[in-house]
Amino acid sequence: METHTSSRAIDGANYKEVDIEMPPLLEVRDLVKYFPVYSKGIFRKKIVGKVHAVDHISFTVNERETVGLVGESGCGKTTTGKLILYLEKPSSGQIFFDGKDVVQTFSKGSKEEQLKLRRSMQMVFQNPYASLDPRMTVYDIISEPFKIHRHIPSNEWKDRVYKLLEMVGLEPYHAERYPHEFSGGQRQRICIARALAVEPRFIIADEPVSSLDVSIRAQILNLIMELQEKLGMSYLYISHDLSSVRQISQRVIVMYLGEIVEQAPTTKLFDNPVHPYTRALMSAVPIPDPKRKMNVIILPGEVPSPINPPSGCRFHPRCQYADQKCKEEKPSFSQVDVDHFVSCHYWHKFA
Amino acid sequence: MNLLEIENLKTYFFTEAGVVKAVDDVTLSVERGCTVGLVGESGSGKSVTAQSVLRIVPRPGKIIGGKILFNGEDLLIKKEEEMRKYRGKKISLIFQDPTSSLNPLFTIGSQLADIVIEHEKVKKDEALEQVVKALRIVKLPDPDHAIYQYPHQFSGGMKQRICIARALLLNPELLFADEPTTNLDVTIQAQIIALLKDLQREFGMTLVMITHDMGIVAEMCKYVVVLYAGNVMESGSIEEIFERPHPYTEALLKAVPRLDETRKLISIPGNIPNLIDPPSGCRFHPRCQYAIDLCKERKPELEDVGNSHFISCHRWRELQGGRY
Amino acid sequence: MIKEVTKVNLRIRSKSEKETKRRGASQWAVAWRRFKKHRSGLVGLGMIIVLLGIAALHNVIAPYPARPHPDAFKPLYEGESAQPPSWKHPFGTTVMGTDVFSEVIHGSIYTIYVAVTVTLISMALSVGVGIVSGYFGRLVDDVLMRVTEVFLVFPSLLFILLFSRIYQLGVAEPFWDVFGIKIPVGLTIVVVIVSIFGWASYARVIRGEVLRMKECEFIQAAKSLGAGSRWIMLRHIFPNILPQVIVLATLTMATAVLVEAAVSFLGFGDPNTITWGRLMEESLQDLSTVWWAEVFPGLAVFLTVLAFNLVGDGLSDALNPRLRE
Repeated sequence: METHTSSRAIDGANYKEVDIEMPPLLEVRDLVKYFPVYSKGIFRKKIVGKVHAVDHISFTVNERETVGLVGESGCGKTTTGKLILYLEKPSSGQIFFDGKDVVQTFSKGSKEEQLKLRRSMQMVFQNPYASLDPRMTVYDIISEPFKIHRHIPSNEWKDRVYKLLEMVGLEPYHAERYPHEFSGGQRQRICIARALAVEPRFIIADEPVSSLDVSIRAQILNLIMELQEKLGMSYLYISHDLSSVRQISQRVIVMYLGEIVEQAPTTKLFDNPVHPYTRALMSAVPIPDPKRKMNVIILPGEVPSPINPPSGCRFHPRCQYADQKCKEEKPSFSQVDVDHFVSCHYWHKFA
Repeated sequence: MNLLEIENLKTYFFTEAGVVKAVDDVTLSVERGCTVGLVGESGSGKSVTAQSVLRIVPRPGKIIGGKILFNGEDLLIKKEEEMRKYRGKKISLIFQDPTSSLNPLFTIGSQLADIVIEHEKVKKDEALEQVVKALRIVKLPDPDHAIYQYPHQFSGGMKQRICIARALLLNPELLFADEPTTNLDVTIQAQIIALLKDLQREFGMTLVMITHDMGIVAEMCKYVVVLYAGNVMESGSIEEIFERPHPYTEALLKAVPRLDETRKLISIPGNIPNLIDPPSGCRFHPRCQYAIDLCKERKPELEDVGNSHFISCHRWRELQGGRY
Repeated sequence: MIKEVTKVNLRIRSKSEKETKRRGASQWAVAWRRFKKHRSGLVGLGMIIVLLGIAALHNVIAPYPARPHPDAFKPLYEGESAQPPSWKHPFGTTVMGTDVFSEVIHGSIYTIYVAVTVTLISMALSVGVGIVSGYFGRLVDDVLMRVTEVFLVFPSLLFILLFSRIYQLGVAEPFWDVFGIKIPVGLTIVVVIVSIFGWASYARVIRGEVLRMKECEFIQAAKSLGAGSRWIMLRHIFPNILPQVIVLATLTMATAVLVEAAVSFLGFGDPNTITWGRLMEESLQDLSTVWWAEVFPGLAVFLTVLAFNLVGDGLSDALNPRLRE
C-alpha cells in the first residue's frame, strides 16, 4: 500500500519504564517567568504588575523520549519552550541539559560553549509561513546553521543540505527555491531540516502542525516520529491539541495558567485523567465518530488573567468541585501512581 | 422544498497569476431546520460557497454560473438592492475571527442596534431592547451592561457570542457559521458548540456549519457535504458518510489523530492542489490510493447511491463490494 | 519503513515532474514582474531615465553654456532678452538675457545631485537608527527615539533656512574639486541640512517595521540557531526591510527636490549654483512680463517630483507583502 506510515507503535503501552539510574536529558527545576506590566508614563515607565507566564514548574525529558506539553492559550506552554532555549530569560529557576546549566551557559558562558549548547537543542515553530526568511533560498536557510557554527568544512555543506532535504522528504531541486513557492506542509519540512542541520539531541516542537491542513498534519506528525526513530533525539511537543499529543508523546504534562496540573505517561493520562481540568479538557475534544456521543464537561467562564491569577488552586473559580480549601490553599503534587502526578486537593475522588 | 438549493455553482477568482477555480460546479441542498456540515480543507471552497450565497465574494472573485435557490427564488438574478434585504435578515454569517468582525470604535450596543435600525426602521430604544434580548439568548453575562462596552473589553469566547447574537438579531432563516470555533480554546469551543446546538434545537434554526474538523461535524451535524479543491466529493447523512465514505473522506478520517485511541496515522501523500491548474478528472486522484486511469481522464458525476447519499467517485461502488 | 517513505517520495516526485525544475523566483524577481505591469510606475521610471539622460548630456543638449560662462548671456548681446518661447529659445529668455531652456537643462544635474545625496544621507541615518532602536529596544530605543522626536518637533523648514544662511556666509570657495568633478559647496551644505532634518520620520517607520519583524518566528529561529545580533540585523532584518527602504527612498528623492527648490526659491540657496528653484527666484519679480522664465523651471520641478512619486507608488505596489502570490 502506498501510504506514509510509521512503523513504530505509537501506543503509550510501548513506553518503556525509564531506568531510574539514567539521568534525564533535560531537567527543568522550579522555572519561573514573569513579564512585567508597565503603566504608560510620559517619562518613566512604572511596573504595575506582572504576568505569571510560567510559575514554578519542574519536569524532565529523558533520552529518546517525547514529552507532550498541553494547555490552552496563555497557559505558558510556549514560554516554557522559549525559556529552555533561552530565547526568553527566566526570572528564576534552573534548566539542566545533559548535566549542563543552560541559564549559566547562556548568561555567563563562553561563545564556544553557547554555540555547543545551541547545537544540541533546536526548535520547530508553529507558523511555517513566518519561520522562514522570505528573502533566502531554501539552500541558504538550511545552510545558515553551518555558516553560524562552522562546525563542518564548507565543501561538505552542499551534500549535507541535500541529505537533509532528502531526510525530510523534499527534492534536491527545491534547494534553489524561495519559501513562498512552497505549501505549508513543505515549509514545515524545511523548518525541520534546518533544525536537524546541527544534529541536535533535543527538539522543541511548538505546535508544529496546528497551522497545517488536516490532510497534511499526519505527514508531518509521521515525519517527526520517523526522524526520532532514525536519529534518536528527544522531543518536547507543545500543543493545544490533545489528540495529536496522544498520538506522538510517551508522557504528557498538562498546564493551566502557568502551572503544571497533571503529568503522567500518555496511556495513564488518557485512560485515567485525574485533575478536573484535564478531565474537562479531554471531554471537550470532539471525536470524529457520530456513534460516540460526547459527554462534555462544560467549564464555566474563561481562563482568568495571568496578571492576577486566582488564589489557592488556580483552577478553583472554574472547578465544579472547588471548596474553601481550594480557594485558600495551593495544592501540592500528589502521586496517583508511580509516575502519575496531580496537583489537586481532592484527586482521590477522581482517580 | 429545501430552504437552500445550490446548483452547479461556479465562483472563480480572476487573479494576476490566473483564474482560480475556487468553487467549481458545486451542488448541494440544505433542508429547513437542519444542521448541515460543509467540510473541507483550505482551498476546498467551503467559505467561498457561503460568500457566494450571500453574494459577498471579495474581489477579484466572481460568481460565473449556477443557481442559488433560497426558498425557491434564485438569488443570483436578484438586484443588489434586493440582495441587501436578504443579508442579515434572511441569511446571516458568523465569521472565524470574532475580533476582526466587530468594529473596535463602537460599543456593542450601538453597532448591533444599527443593524436593527437599518433593516426594521425602528427607534434606537427599541433596537437596543432587541439587542439585549439577542445577547441574552447567547447567554452573554449581564447584557444590560454589556451593550455599553467596547469589543476589546470581552474575551474571544464572549466576542464570538456577541457575533452569534448579531447574526441572530433579525431572526434569519439560514445561518452560516464559518469555522466559528477555530480561533478559540478547546474548552471555549465546547461552550460555543453547546450554545449553537441549543439555539438550533430551541428555535429550529437552519445552520450551515463550515469546518475542517470531522469531530465537530460528528458532534453537531445531521447532514454533511464534503468539499475538496472546489468540488463536492460527497454529501449525505452523517451516518452514511462515516460508514460508507468517499475515498477522500476515508483518507481524511484515517489521517487525523483521535483522542479516544492511538493508532497508526495513515497520511495522505502530496499537497493540496493549485486551483489555477487543478488536476484533470477527479481532483483527488493524484493523492488517492485507489486511483486508476479512469479517475485521471474523466471527472466522476455526483450520483445518488441510495439513502440520499451522493458520491462523486468512479470506484466507490466497487470498493464497497458492489453492494450499492 | 524507509522503503515506504521513498515510495511516497516517488509519488510526490512523479507529480511534481510536471512543474519544470526551474530556479526559484526570488521576491525581487517577483516584484520586478509586478512592477513591469504597473503602468504609471513605468511612466515614472521612463521620466527619470530621461532626466538622467539630460543630466548626463547637459553640455551637449543645451544650446548655451551654463553661467558663469560669459556665453550664457549671448541672447542679451544679440538683443534677445525677455523673449517669449520660440524655435530659437524654446522656453524663452529672461530679462537678464539668458536662455531658459539651457538653464533648465543645466539645472538637472543639481537636481539629481540633491535627490541622490539627500536620500543617501537620510536613509543611512534612518535605517541605522531604525534598526538599532527597533532591534535592541529598551534603553537604546528610549534614547534614540527621544532624539528622533527632537528632530521631528523642530519647525524644520525654518531651521533649514536659518542654517543654510549661516553656513553659506562662511563659504570661501564656491566649488570643491573632487577628481575633476566640481562639487558646489553651498548646495552640499543645503543638502546636509535638509538630510539632517529629514531622516527622523523615516527612522520611525523603519523602527516600526523592525519591531514587527523582530516578532517573526524566523528571527527566533535564527536566535535559537545561535546567531548573534549583528548577524540577525544584517542577514535577516536588513534584507527584509529593504523593500520598504527603497520605497521610502524614492519618496525621499521627491521631497528632497521639492525642499531644495523651496530653499532656493526663497533665496536661501547656494548663490553659485543655478538650480531650478534659483531660476524661479531670479525671475519672480518679472512674473507678469516673462512668465515663461517662471513656468518652465517650475514645470521641471513638478515633473521630476511626479516621476519619483509615480515610481514610489509602483514600487510600493510591487513590493507590498500583502499582495504577494
